[in-house]
Amino acid sequence: MKTNQKKAWLFLAPTIIFVTLFSIYPILRAFSMSFQGGSLIDLHWNGFSNYQYIFNDPEFWLAIKNTVLYAVISVPVGLAISIMLAWIIFDKVKHKSFFETTFFMPYVTSTIAIGIVFRYIFNGDYGMLNFVLRCLHLPAPDWIDDPAMSLTTIIIFGIWSSLAFNIVILMGALRNIDPNFYTIADMFGASGRDKFWRITMPELVPTIAFLLTMNVIGAFKIYTSVYALFNGQAGVGNSGTTAVFYIYNKFQIVGTPGVAMAATVILFLIILFATFLQRKMMKKIGEN
Amino acid sequence: MKRIRLGVLFSYIILFLFAVITVFPFIYMILGGLMSFQETTSIPPTLIPHHFEWSNYAKVFARAPFGRYFFNTVLTASVTTIVSLFNSLLGAFAMVNLRFKGKGLIQMVLLSLLMVPGEAIIFTNYNTIAHMGLLNTYVGLVLPFLTSIFYMYYLQSYFGSISDTIYKAAMIDGASDWDYIWKILVPMSKGGLFTVGLLSFISGWNSFLWPLLVTNEDTMRLLNNGLSAFASDAGSETQLQLAAATLTVLPILILYLIFRKQIIKGVVRNDLKG
Amino acid sequence: MDNNKFVEVKNLRKVYDNGHEAIKNVSFSVKKGDLVCLLGPSGCGKTTILNILAGLLNPTEGDIIFNGKSVVKVAPKDRHIGYVFQNYALYPHMTVLQNVMFPLIVGANKKPKAEAKKIATKYMELTQITELAEQKPGNLSGGQQQRVAIARALVQEPQILLMDEPLSNLDARLRLKIREEIRSLVKTVGITTLFVTHDQEEALSIGDKIILFNDGIIQQDDLGQNFYLEPNNYFVANFVGNPVIDNFKVTKTANELKSSQFTINLADLEQSRFKREIPDGEYVLSVRPENIVPDPNGLFETTVDDIELIGRERILKFTFDNEQVRSLINLETPIKRGDQVKLKMRFNRVFLFTPGGERVY
Repeated sequence: MKTNQKKAWLFLAPTIIFVTLFSIYPILRAFSMSFQGGSLIDLHWNGFSNYQYIFNDPEFWLAIKNTVLYAVISVPVGLAISIMLAWIIFDKVKHKSFFETTFFMPYVTSTIAIGIVFRYIFNGDYGMLNFVLRCLHLPAPDWIDDPAMSLTTIIIFGIWSSLAFNIVILMGALRNIDPNFYTIADMFGASGRDKFWRITMPELVPTIAFLLTMNVIGAFKIYTSVYALFNGQAGVGNSGTTAVFYIYNKFQIVGTPGVAMAATVILFLIILFATFLQRKMMKKIGEN
Repeated sequence: MKRIRLGVLFSYIILFLFAVITVFPFIYMILGGLMSFQETTSIPPTLIPHHFEWSNYAKVFARAPFGRYFFNTVLTASVTTIVSLFNSLLGAFAMVNLRFKGKGLIQMVLLSLLMVPGEAIIFTNYNTIAHMGLLNTYVGLVLPFLTSIFYMYYLQSYFGSISDTIYKAAMIDGASDWDYIWKILVPMSKGGLFTVGLLSFISGWNSFLWPLLVTNEDTMRLLNNGLSAFASDAGSETQLQLAAATLTVLPILILYLIFRKQIIKGVVRNDLKG
Repeated sequence: MDNNKFVEVKNLRKVYDNGHEAIKNVSFSVKKGDLVCLLGPSGCGKTTILNILAGLLNPTEGDIIFNGKSVVKVAPKDRHIGYVFQNYALYPHMTVLQNVMFPLIVGANKKPKAEAKKIATKYMELTQITELAEQKPGNLSGGQQQRVAIARALVQEPQILLMDEPLSNLDARLRLKIREEIRSLVKTVGITTLFVTHDQEEALSIGDKIILFNDGIIQQDDLGQNFYLEPNNYFVANFVGNPVIDNFKVTKTANELKSSQFTINLADLEQSRFKREIPDGEYVLSVRPENIVPDPNGLFETTVDDIELIGRERILKFTFDNEQVRSLINLETPIKRGDQVKLKMRFNRVFLFTPGGERVY
């Protein structure tokens, strides 16, 4: 069927045109722009000076530090809680789909809208969270307006948002484990804990690896939730700035697209490196 | 025996606690949108409003063109969904059923592009759209999203699970590729196409950064941008903010509750991201 | 136009993109109205040939001629063929009637709906599925799906019907029934049919002739009985026949064939059956189990390891040169496990092969 050749390209044409224009070209353009100075309408080559600029910019380092801290804390904690909840739902609950539906809700809802709600719940004076904390005689910090708390607030919101996807995917993986494994384990008199650590966890390794990758990539791209929590700011005095915030700021507000793109390239490399590192790590775990 | 029971009880408590934490913001949002300003900022906090202040919604609509936001959002989300689904459908069909030189290369390029975070290209895309003079237009809002590598990849795996003898049979029966797509492939993949459409619509509805970049006129804003602008403008009027947030979330939440099975199945099936 | 060569395949060769040579130089022809079986073990290239005939695959080299015209460059839909797939490939979202009508309502030779329905009904009657018209394929049994697939393949009134292992998804009893039905159906319609199967019994029972493939080449293209009586080579002798043929390693010297336990005087063989002069050396002597029988004046003596009952007959199993060898005897013969028996071969029914598989006797 030689005629296939032309036909195939015809069917793929819309995809190829759009992908070239809005996926491939922008990557190359971002890369080239990172070596250019000036505003969008007046770009000119200036070598590595954008990179020099960001490496000497304390705000850039704060953004990177916040983003990395956010990823390093929120991803493992969120994943651990997700595994725990998925396992409880899978192992001990009858109305599994009810809980699945409930926990998945945050995934489909707008981060902006729910961020506004969280801003309200986190309010230092009249927020629901501090009311509960005070009732329990726990310290009730000013989550929103204290620069020292910004990152913590972002992390808590991030964990809350990440549970949805993780739990649903983990439930899918748990359902896929051959029930005969458990039947055989029961015959040998394995305890619940044995079954969890010797059957469930090893079977979940590929799924957890996948979720880790997805979560880490997502964590490095964090922007919208910060925007929503702090009403368009990156926290008081920019204390909660993140990599994408920095890029947006340099691109749109300050008007130095070259600097923004240099930061984009660095962010992209960090994500690539993190993904690569994780793959290696999970491979090692898988081998043991 | 007793120890095991205790463990189960403990599990239930944890599960219940997290379920409350997950659902609470939604409930609080809906209730808070019906409170008076005093109730939203009272100490201790009010949970159930004394009197449902439906007028909050009237105020929201009066203060900002939320009707327009709705229209813009439904329009762009629908167009993006329909066109990207159409393009993905054709592309996925070609990748699954046709044989041609360069298929492996295309697949490899598409798969590696799947790894590129959208945030890395969104700013240069802004540049492109600006150059085309499409800022503050519907075309500018939807153009970069009229094809989705991700949904195409999803459909590929969906179509791949259909036996290739079905395609061969259609060829021998005299069907053209176009016949095959519309009379066989689409009716056979209704479920998958519907799920992809739903997820695409939801992510279109929730889009934020892109419309924030390419629009700055109030009449072109989408719901989420309108909402965040409104939240800044409405400043201290928390009850109005919450009412506006409810407006944004509720339609999607209802859609979700109706189609929860398809949506969750769709997400699990291919580890779909939004 | 030559009715003896209604379908003609000339020097066909197919190399897949991955470099696998599925078909190496295959040529054969089919007479108009014949039902020909393409037989062979899995991976022998028979389905590839069917796909090439249908136009679903392009040949690397060679020509295909239907009814006097080369069709290599013709699209599948214009080859006037019907195709029945192994998994039937029924469209699951359409009813039986819609499935059968489908070829008539798409493409260039679209027919008005009423006419399409009339033709479809005619073929549904022929395949006895009229009462299933409104059912979806998912609700049908394997046998019923099979009939729908055949009706759909015939509805365009093709000149050639191609069937790819159409019975392999059915259970054993149904398979016997349907294969007879298929034969009588294609004979009623008078359509030239190529039928791919890996089951020799199926091929022998329904084929007007059989083409046996292995390793991408034709091993034998012949009437069914000749695969038993006159196999072309070692592969054919061993592929066809149940229980399988017995093989004995022998060494030929000046005037005898010597094995580890017996010696045959070359003068005892029928000289006219030798295909050519054969030099001294290693050969394989093959005998069908029904032609190696207990006899007091047998060629050699051995111990019966086991006896297997197959219907009206029994198979004696014994060991020869560490290989299992079989002899087919009737039910009444009073032999039991552990007995010493003497066995005799019918020399006019044995075959002699070179180590390369060529038949020389």
